[in-house]
Amino acid sequence: MATLYKTAQSEYMDVDELIDEKERQSNIKHRVLMVASRGSTYRHRHLLNDLEMLLPHSKKEAKIEAKKDMDLLNEMAEIQGCNNVFYFETRKHTDLYLWISRAPSGPSVKFQVQNLHTMDELKMTGNCLKGSRPILSFDANFETEPHLQLLKEILTQTFGVPKGARKSKPFFDHVFTFSIVDGRIWFRNYQIAEKDAETGGDLGRNDKPTLIEIGPRFVLNTIRIFEGSFGGPTLYENPDFVSPNVIRANLRKSRAVKHVDRINSAKEKEIRTAENPLPKDPLNDVFD
Amino acid sequence: MSDSEHEYSENENDAIYDDEETALEMAALESSAMIERPAKEFINHKAALSALLEEISQKSLKWIHRCDVVSTQPIVVEKADNDLDRELKFYQQGLEAAILGKQEVLNAGVPFERPSDYFAEMVKSDSHMARIRQKLLDQQKGIQNAEEAKKQRELRKYGKKIQHEKLKEREDQKKVALDKIATIKKRLRSGDMGDADDFDIDVDSEGDDKKSKFNRGAKAKGGRPQPNKKRQNKNEKFGYGGKKRGIKNNTSDSAADMSSFSVKRNKSTNFSAPSKKSRVQRPGKAKRQRTH
Repeated sequence: MATLYKTAQSEYMDVDELIDEKERQSNIKHRVLMVASRGSTYRHRHLLNDLEMLLPHSKKEAKIEAKKDMDLLNEMAEIQGCNNVFYFETRKHTDLYLWISRAPSGPSVKFQVQNLHTMDELKMTGNCLKGSRPILSFDANFETEPHLQLLKEILTQTFGVPKGARKSKPFFDHVFTFSIVDGRIWFRNYQIAEKDAETGGDLGRNDKPTLIEIGPRFVLNTIRIFEGSFGGPTLYENPDFVSPNVIRANLRKSRAVKHVDRINSAKEKEIRTAENPLPKDPLNDVFD
Repeated sequence: MSDSEHEYSENENDAIYDDEETALEMAALESSAMIERPAKEFINHKAALSALLEEISQKSLKWIHRCDVVSTQPIVVEKADNDLDRELKFYQQGLEAAILGKQEVLNAGVPFERPSDYFAEMVKSDSHMARIRQKLLDQQKGIQNAEEAKKQRELRKYGKKIQHEKLKEREDQKKVALDKIATIKKRLRSGDMGDADDFDIDVDSEGDDKKSKFNRGAKAKGGRPQPNKKRQNKNEKFGYGGKKRGIKNNTSDSAADMSSFSVKRNKSTNFSAPSKKSRVQRPGKAKRQRTH
Protein backbone atom coordinates (compact mmCIF):
# COMPACT_ATOMS: atom_id res chain seq x y z
CA MET A 1 0.00 0.00 0.00
CA ALA A 2 2.91 2.24 0.74
CA THR A 3 4.17 2.06 -2.80
CA LEU A 4 0.72 2.72 -4.08
CA TYR A 5 0.55 5.78 -1.94
CA LYS A 6 3.88 6.94 -3.25
CA THR A 7 2.98 6.52 -6.89
CA ALA A 8 -0.27 8.28 -6.31
CA GLN A 9 1.43 11.18 -4.64
CA SER A 10 4.04 11.42 -7.35
CA GLU A 11 1.38 11.66 -10.02
CA TYR A 12 -0.85 14.00 -8.05
CA MET A 13 -3.73 11.59 -8.15
CA ASP A 14 -6.45 11.06 -5.67
CA VAL A 15 -5.24 8.26 -3.44
CA ASP A 16 -8.67 6.90 -2.71
CA GLU A 17 -9.48 6.72 -6.37
CA LEU A 18 -6.33 4.82 -7.09
CA ILE A 19 -6.94 2.36 -4.30
CA ASP A 20 -10.48 1.90 -5.52
CA GLU A 21 -9.24 1.22 -9.00
CA LYS A 22 -6.71 -1.30 -7.76
CA GLU A 23 -9.30 -3.10 -5.72
CA ARG A 24 -11.69 -3.25 -8.58
CA GLN A 25 -9.00 -4.67 -10.79
CA SER A 26 -8.13 -7.31 -8.26
CA ASN A 27 -11.80 -8.24 -8.18
CA ILE A 28 -12.01 -9.08 -11.84
CA LYS A 29 -10.38 -12.39 -11.89
CA HIS A 30 -12.52 -13.97 -14.52
CA ARG A 31 -11.72 -17.57 -14.94
CA VAL A 32 -13.77 -19.84 -17.13
CA LEU A 33 -14.28 -23.49 -16.41
CA MET A 34 -14.84 -25.54 -19.56
CA VAL A 35 -16.61 -28.82 -19.17
CA ALA A 36 -18.11 -31.17 -21.69
CA SER A 37 -20.76 -33.73 -20.99
CA ARG A 38 -20.31 -37.37 -21.79
CA GLY A 39 -21.35 -38.46 -25.25
CA SER A 40 -19.89 -35.48 -27.05
CA THR A 41 -18.56 -36.08 -30.53
CA TYR A 42 -15.18 -35.13 -31.91
CA ARG A 43 -16.47 -31.86 -33.33
CA HIS A 44 -17.82 -30.76 -30.00
CA ARG A 45 -14.55 -31.74 -28.38
CA HIS A 46 -12.58 -29.81 -31.00
CA LEU A 47 -14.71 -26.71 -30.44
CA LEU A 48 -14.01 -26.94 -26.73
CA ASN A 49 -10.29 -27.29 -27.43
CA ASP A 50 -10.37 -24.32 -29.80
CA LEU A 51 -12.07 -22.13 -27.23
CA GLU A 52 -9.69 -23.26 -24.54
CA MET A 53 -6.80 -22.30 -26.79
CA LEU A 54 -8.29 -18.88 -27.55
CA LEU A 55 -9.21 -18.08 -23.97
CA PRO A 56 -6.09 -18.30 -21.79
CA HIS A 57 -8.13 -17.64 -18.66
CA SER A 58 -10.01 -20.89 -19.10
CA LYS A 59 -9.57 -24.15 -17.33
CA LYS A 60 -10.55 -27.39 -18.95
CA GLU A 61 -12.03 -30.16 -16.87
CA ALA A 62 -12.72 -33.80 -17.53
CA LYS A 63 -16.04 -34.76 -19.02
CA ILE A 64 -18.84 -35.14 -16.57
CA GLU A 65 -22.32 -36.54 -16.50
CA ALA A 66 -24.53 -33.83 -15.06
CA LYS A 67 -27.87 -34.56 -16.56
CA LYS A 68 -29.73 -34.38 -13.29
CA ASP A 69 -27.40 -32.74 -10.88
CA MET A 70 -26.32 -29.47 -12.40
CA ASP A 71 -25.21 -28.22 -8.99
CA LEU A 72 -22.17 -30.38 -9.45
CA LEU A 73 -20.89 -27.83 -11.95
CA ASN A 74 -21.11 -25.03 -9.41
CA GLU A 75 -19.10 -27.09 -7.00
CA MET A 76 -16.51 -27.83 -9.62
CA ALA A 77 -16.21 -24.15 -10.44
CA GLU A 78 -15.71 -23.36 -6.80
CA ILE A 79 -13.02 -25.99 -6.44
CA GLN A 80 -11.22 -24.71 -9.53
CA GLY A 81 -11.61 -21.10 -8.50
CA CYS A 82 -13.60 -20.20 -11.57
CA ASN A 83 -16.46 -17.71 -11.63
CA ASN A 84 -17.72 -18.62 -15.10
CA VAL A 85 -18.64 -21.98 -16.49
CA PHE A 86 -18.97 -23.13 -20.09
CA TYR A 87 -20.80 -26.41 -20.03
CA PHE A 88 -21.03 -28.15 -23.39
CA GLU A 89 -23.94 -30.50 -23.15
CA THR A 90 -24.41 -33.07 -25.87
CA ARG A 91 -27.72 -34.79 -26.36
CA LYS A 92 -28.19 -37.84 -28.53
CA HIS A 93 -24.64 -37.52 -29.80
CA THR A 94 -25.84 -34.84 -32.21
CA ASP A 95 -27.22 -31.73 -30.54
CA LEU A 96 -24.84 -29.47 -28.72
CA TYR A 97 -26.06 -27.10 -26.04
CA LEU A 98 -23.88 -24.55 -24.38
CA TRP A 99 -24.54 -23.36 -20.88
CA ILE A 100 -22.79 -20.15 -19.93
CA SER A 101 -23.14 -19.51 -16.25
CA ARG A 102 -21.77 -17.15 -13.68
CA ALA A 103 -21.15 -19.47 -10.81
CA PRO A 104 -22.25 -19.64 -8.10
CA SER A 105 -24.99 -17.01 -8.01
CA GLY A 106 -26.07 -16.72 -11.65
CA PRO A 107 -27.35 -15.74 -14.06
CA SER A 108 -26.97 -18.55 -16.56
CA VAL A 109 -27.91 -18.92 -20.21
CA LYS A 110 -28.63 -21.99 -22.23
CA PHE A 111 -27.84 -21.85 -25.92
CA GLN A 112 -28.13 -24.31 -28.71
CA VAL A 113 -24.94 -24.38 -30.78
CA GLN A 114 -25.62 -24.52 -34.48
CA ASN A 115 -23.61 -24.25 -37.70
CA LEU A 116 -20.56 -25.41 -35.87
CA HIS A 117 -17.19 -25.43 -37.63
CA THR A 118 -14.01 -25.90 -35.70
CA MET A 119 -10.67 -24.31 -36.43
CA ASP A 120 -9.33 -27.59 -37.69
CA GLU A 121 -11.92 -28.20 -40.36
CA LEU A 122 -12.02 -24.66 -41.64
CA LYS A 123 -9.19 -23.89 -43.99
CA MET A 124 -8.79 -20.35 -42.76
CA THR A 125 -5.45 -18.69 -43.33
CA GLY A 126 -5.56 -16.45 -40.27
CA ASN A 127 -3.52 -17.13 -37.18
CA CYS A 128 -2.91 -15.36 -33.92
CA LEU A 129 -0.76 -15.54 -30.85
CA LYS A 130 -1.79 -18.10 -28.30
CA GLY A 131 -2.98 -16.14 -25.32
CA SER A 132 -3.20 -12.71 -26.91
CA ARG A 133 -6.20 -10.64 -25.88
CA PRO A 134 -9.16 -10.27 -28.23
CA ILE A 135 -11.17 -7.17 -29.03
CA LEU A 136 -14.82 -8.02 -28.55
CA SER A 137 -17.00 -6.61 -31.27
CA PHE A 138 -20.72 -6.49 -30.67
CA ASP A 139 -23.47 -5.76 -33.11
CA ALA A 140 -25.49 -2.64 -32.26
CA ASN A 141 -28.54 -4.91 -32.07
CA PHE A 142 -27.28 -6.05 -28.68
CA GLU A 143 -28.35 -2.74 -27.17
CA THR A 144 -31.99 -3.05 -28.21
CA GLU A 145 -33.47 -5.56 -25.76
CA PRO A 146 -32.83 -6.15 -22.04
CA HIS A 147 -32.07 -9.82 -22.55
CA LEU A 148 -29.59 -9.00 -25.32
CA GLN A 149 -27.91 -6.43 -23.10
CA LEU A 150 -27.56 -9.05 -20.42
CA LEU A 151 -26.18 -11.53 -22.95
CA LYS A 152 -23.67 -8.94 -24.10
CA GLU A 153 -22.48 -8.39 -20.55
CA ILE A 154 -22.15 -12.13 -19.96
CA LEU A 155 -20.28 -12.66 -23.23
CA THR A 156 -17.97 -9.73 -22.48
CA GLN A 157 -17.10 -11.17 -19.12
CA THR A 158 -16.50 -14.67 -20.39
CA PHE A 159 -14.92 -14.17 -23.82
CA GLY A 160 -12.90 -11.12 -22.84
CA VAL A 161 -9.45 -12.02 -21.60
CA PRO A 162 -8.79 -10.03 -18.43
CA LYS A 163 -5.77 -7.77 -18.45
CA GLY A 164 -2.80 -9.55 -17.01
CA ALA A 165 -4.50 -12.94 -16.92
CA ARG A 166 -2.23 -15.90 -16.40
CA LYS A 167 -0.78 -17.30 -19.64
CA SER A 168 -2.10 -14.30 -21.57
CA LYS A 169 0.05 -12.02 -23.69
CA PRO A 170 -0.45 -8.25 -23.46
CA PHE A 171 -1.07 -7.74 -27.20
CA PHE A 172 -4.15 -7.51 -29.38
CA ASP A 173 -4.13 -9.34 -32.65
CA HIS A 174 -7.61 -10.73 -33.08
CA VAL A 175 -11.28 -9.73 -32.93
CA PHE A 176 -14.19 -11.80 -31.75
CA THR A 177 -17.35 -10.61 -33.45
CA PHE A 178 -20.78 -11.30 -32.04
CA SER A 179 -23.58 -10.38 -34.41
CA ILE A 180 -27.28 -10.91 -34.27
CA VAL A 181 -28.74 -12.27 -37.46
CA ASP A 182 -31.95 -14.22 -37.66
CA GLY A 183 -32.41 -13.89 -33.89
CA ARG A 184 -29.24 -15.81 -33.19
CA ILE A 185 -25.78 -14.83 -32.10
CA TRP A 186 -23.14 -15.52 -34.75
CA PHE A 187 -19.56 -15.85 -33.61
CA ARG A 188 -16.53 -15.18 -35.81
CA ASN A 189 -12.86 -14.83 -35.00
CA TYR A 190 -10.62 -12.64 -37.16
CA GLN A 191 -6.94 -11.91 -37.11
CA ILE A 192 -6.03 -8.22 -37.38
CA ALA A 193 -3.34 -8.04 -40.03
CA GLU A 194 -1.43 -4.79 -39.66
CA LYS A 195 0.61 -5.55 -42.73
CA ASP A 196 -0.13 -4.65 -46.28
CA ALA A 197 -1.80 -7.65 -47.83
CA GLU A 198 0.09 -7.37 -51.12
CA THR A 199 3.53 -6.05 -50.31
CA GLY A 200 3.86 -7.36 -46.76
CA GLY A 201 5.19 -3.98 -45.67
CA ASP A 202 3.97 -1.86 -42.82
CA LEU A 203 0.72 0.02 -43.13
CA GLY A 204 0.59 3.74 -43.60
CA ARG A 205 -1.03 6.01 -41.05
CA ASN A 206 -4.40 6.11 -42.69
CA ASP A 207 -4.54 2.63 -44.14
CA LYS A 208 -7.09 0.27 -42.69
CA PRO A 209 -5.88 -3.05 -41.37
CA THR A 210 -7.23 -6.19 -42.98
CA LEU A 211 -8.99 -9.01 -41.22
CA ILE A 212 -8.27 -12.66 -41.88
CA GLU A 213 -10.58 -15.20 -40.41
CA ILE A 214 -9.07 -17.70 -38.02
CA GLY A 215 -12.08 -19.77 -36.90
CA PRO A 216 -13.92 -21.41 -35.28
CA ARG A 217 -17.42 -20.48 -36.38
CA PHE A 218 -20.59 -21.17 -34.54
CA VAL A 219 -24.04 -19.80 -33.97
CA LEU A 220 -25.63 -19.54 -30.54
CA ASN A 221 -29.37 -19.80 -30.40
CA THR A 222 -30.62 -18.62 -27.04
CA ILE A 223 -33.07 -20.96 -25.39
CA ARG A 224 -33.49 -19.57 -21.88
CA ILE A 225 -31.94 -17.21 -19.40
CA PHE A 226 -32.09 -18.33 -15.79
CA GLU A 227 -31.67 -16.19 -12.74
CA GLY A 228 -29.55 -18.71 -10.87
CA SER A 229 -26.51 -20.63 -11.91
CA PHE A 230 -27.69 -23.72 -13.77
CA GLY A 231 -31.23 -23.29 -12.56
CA GLY A 232 -33.55 -20.94 -10.78
CA PRO A 233 -36.47 -19.03 -12.22
CA THR A 234 -36.55 -18.35 -15.93
CA LEU A 235 -36.21 -14.71 -16.87
CA TYR A 236 -36.34 -15.07 -20.60
CA GLU A 237 -37.51 -17.68 -23.01
CA ASN A 238 -36.84 -17.49 -26.73
CA PRO A 239 -40.18 -17.73 -28.54
CA ASP A 240 -38.48 -18.58 -31.83
CA PHE A 241 -36.54 -21.49 -30.51
CA VAL A 242 -37.63 -24.84 -31.88
CA SER A 243 -36.11 -27.89 -30.31
CA PRO A 244 -34.12 -30.03 -32.73
CA ASN A 245 -36.16 -32.97 -31.48
CA VAL A 246 -39.34 -31.33 -32.74
CA ILE A 247 -37.71 -30.58 -36.08
CA ARG A 248 -36.65 -34.17 -36.47
CA ALA A 249 -40.08 -35.44 -35.41
CA ASN A 250 -41.78 -33.21 -37.97
CA LEU A 251 -39.46 -34.49 -40.63
CA ARG A 252 -40.32 -38.04 -39.74
CA LYS A 253 -44.01 -37.19 -39.65
CA SER A 254 -43.89 -35.67 -43.09
CA ARG A 255 -42.42 -38.92 -44.34
CA ALA A 256 -45.19 -40.85 -42.63
CA VAL A 257 -47.81 -38.86 -44.54
CA LYS A 258 -47.34 -41.16 -47.49
CA HIS A 259 -48.51 -44.15 -45.50
CA VAL A 260 -51.49 -42.29 -44.07
CA ASP A 261 -52.50 -41.15 -47.54
CA ARG A 262 -52.56 -44.71 -48.71
CA ILE A 263 -54.82 -45.77 -45.86
CA ASN A 264 -57.14 -42.84 -46.48
CA SER A 265 -57.47 -43.56 -50.17
CA ALA A 266 -58.25 -47.22 -49.46
CA LYS A 267 -60.97 -46.14 -47.10
CA GLU A 268 -62.41 -43.71 -49.60
CA LYS A 269 -62.44 -46.34 -52.29
CA GLU A 270 -64.46 -48.72 -50.14
CA ILE A 271 -66.99 -46.00 -49.42
CA ARG A 272 -67.19 -45.13 -53.10
CA THR A 273 -67.81 -48.70 -54.18
CA ALA A 274 -70.43 -49.10 -51.49
CA GLU A 275 -72.29 -46.01 -52.61
CA ASN A 276 -72.24 -46.87 -56.30
CA PRO A 277 -72.88 -50.58 -56.70
CA LEU A 278 -72.93 -52.02 -60.20
CA PRO A 279 -76.49 -52.29 -61.72
CA LYS A 280 -77.75 -55.85 -62.11
CA ASP A 281 -77.30 -57.11 -65.63
CA PRO A 282 -80.73 -58.39 -66.97
CA LEU A 283 -79.01 -60.71 -69.44
CA ASN A 284 -76.95 -62.35 -66.78
CA ASP A 285 -79.28 -65.33 -66.25
CA VAL A 286 -80.68 -65.80 -69.76
CA PHE A 287 -79.11 -69.22 -70.24
CA ASP A 288 -79.78 -70.53 -66.73
CA MET B 1 -80.66 -53.77 -54.43
CA SER B 2 -81.00 -52.41 -50.91
CA ASP B 3 -79.83 -55.74 -49.57
CA SER B 4 -76.61 -55.65 -51.46
CA GLU B 5 -76.02 -52.12 -50.34
CA HIS B 6 -76.43 -53.11 -46.76
CA GLU B 7 -73.95 -55.90 -47.26
CA TYR B 8 -71.43 -53.55 -48.75
CA SER B 9 -71.57 -51.16 -45.87
CA GLU B 10 -71.07 -54.01 -43.43
CA ASN B 11 -68.07 -55.18 -45.34
CA GLU B 12 -66.67 -51.74 -45.29
CA ASN B 13 -66.99 -51.55 -41.55
CA ASP B 14 -65.22 -54.85 -41.21
CA ALA B 15 -62.43 -53.82 -43.51
CA ILE B 16 -61.73 -50.68 -41.62
CA TYR B 17 -62.16 -51.66 -38.04
CA ASP B 18 -60.92 -55.18 -37.96
CA ASP B 19 -57.42 -53.84 -38.13
CA GLU B 20 -57.27 -52.28 -34.72
CA GLU B 21 -53.92 -50.70 -35.25
CA THR B 22 -55.03 -48.84 -38.31
CA ALA B 23 -58.07 -47.56 -36.52
CA LEU B 24 -55.98 -46.27 -33.66
CA GLU B 25 -53.67 -44.57 -36.07
CA MET B 26 -56.55 -42.86 -37.79
CA ALA B 27 -57.95 -41.69 -34.48
CA ALA B 28 -54.63 -40.31 -33.40
CA LEU B 29 -54.22 -38.42 -36.64
CA GLU B 30 -57.69 -36.94 -36.49
CA SER B 31 -57.34 -35.87 -32.88
CA SER B 32 -53.99 -34.22 -33.43
CA ALA B 33 -55.41 -32.24 -36.29
CA MET B 34 -58.45 -31.19 -34.31
CA ILE B 35 -56.92 -30.15 -31.02
CA GLU B 36 -55.51 -26.66 -31.22
CA ARG B 37 -52.92 -26.15 -28.58
CA PRO B 38 -53.27 -22.86 -26.76
CA ALA B 39 -50.58 -20.37 -27.72
CA LYS B 40 -47.76 -20.67 -25.24
CA GLU B 41 -46.82 -17.67 -23.18
CA PHE B 42 -43.15 -16.95 -23.39
CA ILE B 43 -41.44 -15.51 -20.38
CA ASN B 44 -39.63 -12.24 -20.76
CA HIS B 45 -39.17 -10.34 -17.50
CA LYS B 46 -37.64 -7.20 -18.84
CA ALA B 47 -37.43 -5.43 -15.50
CA ALA B 48 -35.76 -8.38 -13.83
CA LEU B 49 -33.31 -8.71 -16.70
CA SER B 50 -32.38 -5.05 -16.47
CA ALA B 51 -31.94 -5.30 -12.71
CA LEU B 52 -29.75 -8.35 -13.13
CA LEU B 53 -27.69 -6.54 -15.70
CA GLU B 54 -27.12 -3.70 -13.25
CA GLU B 55 -26.07 -6.20 -10.65
CA ILE B 56 -23.44 -7.98 -12.70
CA SER B 57 -22.42 -5.05 -14.85
CA GLN B 58 -18.78 -4.04 -14.89
CA LYS B 59 -19.33 -0.93 -16.92
CA SER B 60 -17.41 1.13 -14.36
CA LEU B 61 -14.24 -0.67 -15.35
CA LYS B 62 -11.84 1.02 -17.71
CA TRP B 63 -12.12 0.02 -21.32
CA ILE B 64 -8.82 -1.79 -21.32
CA HIS B 65 -10.25 -4.35 -18.92
CA ARG B 66 -13.34 -4.98 -20.98
CA CYS B 67 -12.20 -4.52 -24.57
CA ASP B 68 -15.72 -4.41 -25.96
CA VAL B 69 -16.73 -2.37 -28.96
CA VAL B 70 -20.28 -1.89 -30.10
CA SER B 71 -20.78 -1.33 -33.80
CA THR B 72 -22.21 2.00 -34.91
CA GLN B 73 -24.59 0.36 -37.36
CA PRO B 74 -26.77 -2.61 -36.47
CA ILE B 75 -26.31 -5.56 -38.78
CA VAL B 76 -29.16 -6.02 -41.19
CA VAL B 77 -29.07 -9.09 -43.36
CA GLU B 78 -32.02 -9.70 -45.61
CA LYS B 79 -31.52 -13.41 -45.84
CA ALA B 80 -29.44 -15.27 -43.33
CA ASP B 81 -28.81 -17.92 -45.99
CA ASN B 82 -26.91 -15.47 -48.17
CA ASP B 83 -23.42 -16.42 -47.06
CA LEU B 84 -21.52 -13.75 -48.94
CA ASP B 85 -23.64 -10.85 -47.76
CA ARG B 86 -23.70 -12.07 -44.20
CA GLU B 87 -19.96 -12.69 -43.94
CA LEU B 88 -19.27 -9.29 -45.48
CA LYS B 89 -21.37 -7.63 -42.80
CA PHE B 90 -19.53 -9.55 -40.10
CA TYR B 91 -16.23 -8.53 -41.61
CA GLN B 92 -17.22 -4.89 -41.68
CA GLN B 93 -18.31 -5.07 -38.06
CA GLY B 94 -15.03 -6.69 -37.08
CA LEU B 95 -12.98 -4.18 -39.04
CA GLU B 96 -14.70 -1.24 -37.43
CA ALA B 97 -14.12 -2.76 -34.01
CA ALA B 98 -10.46 -3.42 -34.83
CA ILE B 99 -9.89 0.22 -35.77
CA LEU B 100 -11.79 1.66 -32.80
CA GLY B 101 -10.24 -0.88 -30.47
CA LYS B 102 -6.73 -0.03 -31.55
CA GLN B 103 -7.35 3.59 -30.74
CA GLU B 104 -8.70 2.74 -27.31
CA VAL B 105 -5.79 0.43 -26.59
CA LEU B 106 -3.25 3.05 -27.57
CA ASN B 107 -5.11 5.66 -25.52
CA ALA B 108 -4.77 3.43 -22.48
CA GLY B 109 -1.03 3.34 -23.03
CA VAL B 110 -0.90 -0.38 -23.75
CA PRO B 111 0.95 -1.82 -26.74
CA PHE B 112 -1.36 -3.02 -29.46
CA GLU B 113 0.85 -4.94 -31.81
CA ARG B 114 3.45 -7.35 -30.65
CA PRO B 115 7.02 -6.33 -31.46
CA SER B 116 8.39 -7.84 -34.65
CA ASP B 117 10.99 -9.83 -32.72
CA TYR B 118 8.45 -11.29 -30.33
CA PHE B 119 7.97 -14.93 -31.13
CA ALA B 120 5.64 -17.15 -29.24
CA GLU B 121 3.36 -20.09 -29.74
CA MET B 122 0.52 -19.46 -32.14
CA VAL B 123 -3.00 -20.76 -31.99
CA LYS B 124 -2.48 -22.77 -35.14
CA SER B 125 0.68 -24.81 -35.24
CA ASP B 126 3.16 -24.61 -38.09
CA SER B 127 2.08 -28.01 -39.36
CA HIS B 128 -1.54 -26.86 -39.36
CA MET B 129 -0.65 -23.73 -41.33
CA ALA B 130 1.41 -25.82 -43.74
CA ARG B 131 -1.61 -28.03 -44.28
CA ILE B 132 -3.76 -25.00 -45.03
CA ARG B 133 -1.16 -23.65 -47.45
CA GLN B 134 -0.92 -27.01 -49.16
CA LYS B 135 -4.67 -27.11 -49.49
CA LEU B 136 -4.71 -23.67 -51.07
CA LEU B 137 -1.95 -24.63 -53.46
CA ASP B 138 -3.74 -27.80 -54.40
CA GLN B 139 -6.87 -25.84 -55.05
CA GLN B 140 -5.05 -23.43 -57.32
CA LYS B 141 -3.35 -26.26 -59.11
CA GLY B 142 -6.66 -27.97 -59.62
CA ILE B 143 -8.12 -24.86 -61.16
CA GLN B 144 -5.13 -24.44 -63.44
CA ASN B 145 -5.24 -28.05 -64.53
CA ALA B 146 -8.92 -27.83 -65.28
CA GLU B 147 -8.38 -24.74 -67.38
CA GLU B 148 -5.56 -26.30 -69.30
CA ALA B 149 -7.56 -29.43 -69.98
CA LYS B 150 -10.40 -27.27 -71.26
CA LYS B 151 -8.04 -25.44 -73.58
CA GLN B 152 -6.58 -28.70 -74.86
CA ARG B 153 -10.02 -30.05 -75.54
CA GLU B 154 -10.88 -26.98 -77.58
CA LEU B 155 -7.61 -27.19 -79.46
CA ARG B 156 -8.13 -30.84 -80.28
CA LYS B 157 -11.56 -30.08 -81.65
CA TYR B 158 -10.16 -27.26 -83.73
CA GLY B 159 -6.94 -29.07 -84.64
CA LYS B 160 -8.78 -31.91 -86.31
CA LYS B 161 -10.43 -29.47 -88.64
CA ILE B 162 -7.12 -27.89 -89.49
CA GLN B 163 -5.51 -31.24 -90.20
CA HIS B 164 -8.32 -32.23 -92.49
CA GLU B 165 -8.03 -29.01 -94.44
CA LYS B 166 -4.28 -29.34 -94.78
CA LEU B 167 -4.53 -32.85 -96.19
CA LYS B 168 -7.10 -31.69 -98.67
CA GLU B 169 -4.93 -28.80 -99.71
CA ARG B 170 -1.92 -31.04 -100.24
CA GLU B 171 -3.98 -33.40 -102.39
CA ASP B 172 -5.23 -30.52 -104.49
CA GLN B 173 -1.71 -29.25 -105.00
CA LYS B 174 -0.55 -32.65 -106.12
CA LYS B 175 -3.42 -32.94 -108.52
CA VAL B 176 -2.68 -29.57 -110.06
CA ALA B 177 1.00 -30.41 -110.45
CA LEU B 178 0.25 -33.76 -112.08
CA ASP B 179 -2.17 -32.13 -114.47
CA LYS B 180 0.43 -29.65 -115.49
CA ILE B 181 3.01 -32.32 -116.12
CA ALA B 182 0.55 -34.32 -118.15
CA THR B 183 -0.28 -31.35 -120.36
CA ILE B 184 3.38 -30.56 -120.92
CA LYS B 185 4.10 -34.17 -121.80
CA LYS B 186 1.25 -34.15 -124.25
CA ARG B 187 2.57 -31.03 -125.85
CA LEU B 188 6.07 -32.48 -126.17
CA ARG B 189 4.79 -35.64 -127.74
CA SER B 190 2.91 -33.67 -130.32
CA GLY B 191 6.27 -32.01 -131.18
CA ASP B 192 5.12 -28.59 -130.38
CA MET B 193 8.10 -27.21 -128.46
CA GLY B 194 7.56 -23.54 -128.97
CA ASP B 195 8.76 -20.56 -127.04
CA ALA B 196 5.40 -20.48 -125.41
CA ASP B 197 6.55 -23.21 -123.08
CA ASP B 198 6.58 -21.69 -119.65
CA PHE B 199 8.57 -24.49 -118.12
CA ASP B 200 12.05 -24.70 -119.48
CA ILE B 201 12.66 -28.16 -118.20
CA ASP B 202 13.59 -31.41 -119.79
CA VAL B 203 10.59 -33.35 -118.71
CA ASP B 204 11.84 -36.78 -119.67
CA SER B 205 15.15 -36.43 -117.95
CA GLU B 206 13.30 -35.31 -114.90
CA GLY B 207 11.33 -38.50 -114.98
CA ASP B 208 14.53 -40.51 -115.30
CA ASP B 209 16.02 -38.80 -112.34
CA LYS B 210 12.99 -39.77 -110.36
CA LYS B 211 13.33 -43.40 -111.37
CA SER B 212 17.04 -43.58 -110.65
CA LYS B 213 16.27 -42.37 -107.17
CA PHE B 214 14.42 -45.56 -106.49
CA ASN B 215 17.03 -47.98 -107.86
CA ARG B 216 20.47 -46.71 -107.27
CA GLY B 217 23.45 -48.41 -108.93
CA ALA B 218 23.92 -50.03 -112.27
CA LYS B 219 21.11 -51.63 -114.20
CA ALA B 220 21.19 -55.38 -114.38
CA LYS B 221 21.07 -57.12 -117.71
CA GLY B 222 17.75 -57.20 -119.48
CA GLY B 223 16.96 -53.74 -118.26
CA ARG B 224 15.82 -55.07 -114.94
CA PRO B 225 16.62 -52.81 -112.00
CA GLN B 226 18.99 -54.28 -109.49
CA PRO B 227 17.48 -54.82 -106.06
CA ASN B 228 18.95 -53.18 -103.01
CA LYS B 229 21.75 -54.63 -100.92
CA LYS B 230 19.53 -56.17 -98.30
CA ARG B 231 17.38 -57.84 -100.87
CA GLN B 232 20.45 -59.09 -102.65
CA ASN B 233 21.78 -60.68 -99.49
CA LYS B 234 18.46 -62.25 -98.76
CA ASN B 235 18.25 -63.56 -102.26
CA GLU B 236 21.65 -65.05 -101.85
CA LYS B 237 20.73 -66.67 -98.59
CA PHE B 238 17.27 -67.95 -99.32
CA GLY B 239 17.50 -68.24 -103.06
CA TYR B 240 15.93 -66.15 -105.74
CA GLY B 241 15.61 -67.31 -109.28
CA GLY B 242 17.13 -70.49 -110.61
CA LYS B 243 16.62 -74.02 -109.44
CA LYS B 244 15.17 -74.41 -105.95
CA ARG B 245 15.58 -78.17 -105.80
CA GLY B 246 18.09 -79.54 -103.36
CA ILE B 247 19.20 -76.19 -102.22
CA LYS B 248 18.07 -76.74 -98.64
CA ASN B 249 19.20 -80.34 -98.36
CA ASN B 250 22.11 -81.23 -96.15
CA THR B 251 25.34 -82.04 -97.85
CA SER B 252 28.47 -83.59 -96.44
CA ASP B 253 29.94 -80.14 -96.15
CA SER B 254 27.00 -78.66 -94.32
CA ALA B 255 26.88 -81.64 -91.97
CA ALA B 256 30.52 -81.18 -91.09
CA ASP B 257 30.10 -77.48 -90.55
CA MET B 258 30.37 -76.81 -86.84
CA SER B 259 30.62 -73.04 -87.04
CA SER B 260 27.19 -72.47 -85.61
CA PHE B 261 27.76 -74.80 -82.64
CA SER B 262 27.96 -73.03 -79.33
CA VAL B 263 29.71 -74.86 -76.54
CA LYS B 264 28.45 -72.52 -73.97
CA ARG B 265 24.87 -72.95 -74.88
CA ASN B 266 25.03 -76.73 -75.02
CA LYS B 267 27.11 -77.13 -71.91
CA SER B 268 25.37 -78.53 -68.86
CA THR B 269 26.94 -78.95 -65.48
CA ASN B 270 25.29 -82.23 -64.77
CA PHE B 271 24.40 -84.75 -67.42
CA SER B 272 21.73 -86.34 -65.28
CA ALA B 273 18.32 -84.68 -65.23
CA PRO B 274 18.09 -81.81 -62.79
CA SER B 275 16.60 -82.90 -59.45
CA LYS B 276 13.04 -81.91 -58.81
CA LYS B 277 13.73 -80.30 -55.48
CA SER B 278 16.34 -77.89 -56.74
CA ARG B 279 13.98 -76.40 -59.26
CA VAL B 280 11.96 -73.45 -58.07
CA GLN B 281 8.54 -74.84 -57.79
CA ARG B 282 5.24 -73.06 -57.85
CA PRO B 283 3.82 -73.18 -54.35
CA GLY B 284 0.66 -75.15 -53.69
CA LYS B 285 -2.76 -73.64 -54.04
CA ALA B 286 -3.39 -73.31 -50.32
CA LYS B 287 -0.10 -71.56 -49.86
CA ARG B 288 -0.72 -69.20 -52.73
CA GLN B 289 -4.14 -68.28 -51.43
CA ARG B 290 -2.73 -67.69 -48.00
CA THR B 291 -0.26 -65.16 -49.27
CA HIS B 292 -2.61 -63.24 -51.49
